[in-house]
Amino acid sequence: MSETLVEQAGPKAHPAAAPFVSCVLAWLVPGLGHFYLGKRTRAAVFFAVVVGMFGLGVVSDGAASLFEPRQPLSFLATFDNLATGPIDLISRHHTYGSIVFTLPPDEGDPRRIELLGRLRARVRGVTYEYGNIYLLTAGLMNILLMLDCFDIATGRKT
Amino acid sequence: MIRSHFANLVIFSGLVGVFFAFLTQNEPKDRVRVILILGGSMVVLSLIIAYVMYPFPLR
Repeated sequence: MSETLVEQAGPKAHPAAAPFVSCVLAWLVPGLGHFYLGKRTRAAVFFAVVVGMFGLGVVSDGAASLFEPRQPLSFLATFDNLATGPIDLISRHHTYGSIVFTLPPDEGDPRRIELLGRLRARVRGVTYEYGNIYLLTAGLMNILLMLDCFDIATGRKT
Repeated sequence: MIRSHFANLVIFSGLVGVFFAFLTQNEPKDRVRVILILGGSMVVLSLIIAYVMYPFPLR
């Protein structure tokens, strides 16, 4: 009897919602995954918070991270930036003047020198650290949103 | 561009509080409680840590 009541009270899988689709939508636009799952209010709030956080990062001279094979931790920072979705391209273009994801490994490569020069110009900004924190937090938030969409779509959460 | 450290702290704490309130709670009353507790504790704890660290030399 009690087991039946628990089953009835627990969350159910979202009808006709594919977990993978909701996760991809959440990555494409923050909040879109929740909108797809019918959580309109949450979707609007998540969009405002994540995009607001990202916007603050861009205007505060935050810099998108570049993957450098000699510094393995740079992979995590780059992955986190990419988790924000396609809007990450805006910060990359804003920082480096083009859309780039890796730093050329050769020390004498003119492209590497140019990219590092652009990065150092941002680092000298007074609000660079604030901006970086905003950008990285926006990425982490969007990862949580994707996981949340998966849980809602599979019925683990309402 | 916001240069004030305190303003950045308050804005960041507020946004994180709102995010987790909507992520973890369903009822408006519970959400407000999470925003106040989480956002407020981030601001207050940061000020306490800053106060404790104040006597330490920068270099």
